[in-house]
Amino acid sequence: MAPPVRRGKLAYKMLGWFLLISLAPMGVVGYHLVGISQSSLRKATLSMQKTLAAGFADTAYKYVTTYRNVLAETAGIEEFAAMNPARQQQYLDRILQVHLAILELSVCNAQGAEQLHRGRLLGAAPPLRNFENEEFFIAALRRGQYIGKLERQGIYPTATIAVAVTDQKAPPPGKPAGVLMARVSLNGLTSMLGMEFPATGKSAAAVVDKRDGFLIAHSDPKEVFKSDARLSDEELKIITTQTASEGGGEMFLSDGRRLVGAYADVHDLDWVVYVKQPMEYAYQGAAEMKKQIFEYLLLVVVFIIMLSLAAANYIAQPIRLLRVAAAKLGRGQFEDIPEMIPTNDEIGELTQAFLDMRENLKEKTGDLLQAQQELEKLNRELNKRVEARTRELKAAQDELINKERLAAIGQMASVVGHEIRNPLAVINNSIYFIKTKLGIAPGGTDAKIEKHIKIIESEIRQANGIINEILTYSRTRELKPERVLLNAWIEELLSVYPFPPHIVLDKSLDPANPPVDIDTTEMQQAIRNLINNGIEVMPERGRVSVHTRLSDDRGRVAIFVGDTGPGMPPDVQEKIFAPFYTTKARGTGLGLAVVRKVADRHRGAVDVDSVVGQGTVFRITLPVAQAAAPGARPA
Amino acid sequence: MARLLIIDDDAHLRESLAEVLELEGFECCQAGTAHSGIEAAKKVDPDVVIMDIQLPDSSGFQICQTLRKRSRRTILIMMTGRFLSSEEKKQGFELGADEYITKPFDLAELSIRIKQLLSRRTAD
Repeated sequence: MAPPVRRGKLAYKMLGWFLLISLAPMGVVGYHLVGISQSSLRKATLSMQKTLAAGFADTAYKYVTTYRNVLAETAGIEEFAAMNPARQQQYLDRILQVHLAILELSVCNAQGAEQLHRGRLLGAAPPLRNFENEEFFIAALRRGQYIGKLERQGIYPTATIAVAVTDQKAPPPGKPAGVLMARVSLNGLTSMLGMEFPATGKSAAAVVDKRDGFLIAHSDPKEVFKSDARLSDEELKIITTQTASEGGGEMFLSDGRRLVGAYADVHDLDWVVYVKQPMEYAYQGAAEMKKQIFEYLLLVVVFIIMLSLAAANYIAQPIRLLRVAAAKLGRGQFEDIPEMIPTNDEIGELTQAFLDMRENLKEKTGDLLQAQQELEKLNRELNKRVEARTRELKAAQDELINKERLAAIGQMASVVGHEIRNPLAVINNSIYFIKTKLGIAPGGTDAKIEKHIKIIESEIRQANGIINEILTYSRTRELKPERVLLNAWIEELLSVYPFPPHIVLDKSLDPANPPVDIDTTEMQQAIRNLINNGIEVMPERGRVSVHTRLSDDRGRVAIFVGDTGPGMPPDVQEKIFAPFYTTKARGTGLGLAVVRKVADRHRGAVDVDSVVGQGTVFRITLPVAQAAAPGARPA
Repeated sequence: MARLLIIDDDAHLRESLAEVLELEGFECCQAGTAHSGIEAAKKVDPDVVIMDIQLPDSSGFQICQTLRKRSRRTILIMMTGRFLSSEEKKQGFELGADEYITKPFDLAELSIRIKQLLSRRTAD
């Protein structure tokens, strides 16, 4: 399923160029073609009009000359030239019978006196006239013939045609005996024009007297059959100012009409045939052609736009795909890139180059990612190692500080111990001396003195005990481990421990009875310290429990020493293993510090679990001795 | 009457000790330094010498060595105010010490111990 096509600017630009390239020449050519066609069409129209005008000028000439010839033939007949009125009347009646357009005929003698007058609707004996001064008479006598004197019989145009009556055989030849005159109706010309120029084409044709615009004939009978029908002065002026015998062109009249007109002079006469047509009708063909050309042009434009759009899309599509793909690539998406088939052109090469680039980038990015991951992994490992090393260092530092502190304490305790022991020894010696002296003197002993001597002795012991404790804790003694079976060792320890009577011992030893490597002196001190503490917190009555338990993996063994004393709150539990921390009225605060030191020296640990009101349980965890350790001995 | 020589730089200590032991029936003389102690030993030829391990001019072990060279029979008791390592103790015994006592000491116990050592030596 193709995504909806969104055209980019490129497609529109190409579209624009395509249109410019294809339409601009077509427009120019089309414009010129239209111009040429139109002008030739106009020329053709005009020339047709000219032909029509010329043709009809010929027709009009023939029309009138036909009647002149009839008259001339009649006048040339010997019998007619004899001027016998009776005979002549026969001829005239014949003519009137045959030629309906001839309205009346007259014959006058050489002096102009009318001899004979025949005509339709004239009655039997019309009055005879004298034509002595008439133009037709003078012209006919002089030149032999005359066509002219246009006038209207009512509304119908007529012309006068006259020929000289000459006896051809009588000498001297050419001397006229009279004149034969006819008045001819010109309605026939109008009929003929009407047939040649039907009213539909809006074209009109007229035959006009050049001299005064007398309208002889018109394609529209209504125009000519009027009492004073004549051509407008403007048109007449245009026609009469032409020098050529025939011609035509466009006319722009003052009343706004635009016409295409043509004219042709009628031979030997002052008549002109005038053909005219309103310009819009005359050029209707040209306009039609123009319209059609524009329609086709529009179709072509639409077609070219569609074609260009398709072409632009076709060209722009791979580029658009490339752009989309490049954008995806830019975001680091190597997959899900639109499918692009490289074509065998520059765009195809671009596509191929892009695909190659993608592969390269993908590979490089993959390498980079891998390198980054490896780097991160290494970094993590490094961090871990640094952390571990830091922890080790911190532990080592703590240990060192601890050791240094212990060493300092030891040194101080050693000095202090030695220095205090001397005076203690002196006091001890002196009190012994006094005691002995008093004992020697019989009955001289005061009970109170004895009591105070005992107090001094007791205090000396206690002071010495404190010094011993401090020295024991601070002394850097080498550990002397030996392998013992734990149960037997504890049994022995408990059997010699002086439990006071108000204390119940609860003993429960793991039957696994594991072997342990311990410095018995120190470990004994530690266990005794714990039992001492337990007894001390239970002055009235209570239970001391001693349990052992082997761990599940049999790697370690735990020794629990518990009491049912008052217990300790958590904040006290945190501090009890610190040296010199004590809750007792008298005490160095070294008992549990010694326990911890001993446990540490045995690669073990000590912790406490205490509930206020219920009691306290200390736990020493020691490693179980491995099978083949040297120095093992049976318990 | 057994003769005792007490060598200690602490005058109170050696005087109190001497007077207690005199009550127990011993004849006591005293010295404050290693040098004067050795001189005194040459003069009185004591049966028992009780000496402090730490002396201002020398160590008790050196006196021990010197006195043992002079006489196999003299009972040499070393006094100390501090814990001795087993190495030190071994060294002392090798140099001829017979007994160690730690300050402050039980005088009754010391008296009995001296008498015991003396009677055993007499039996030899």
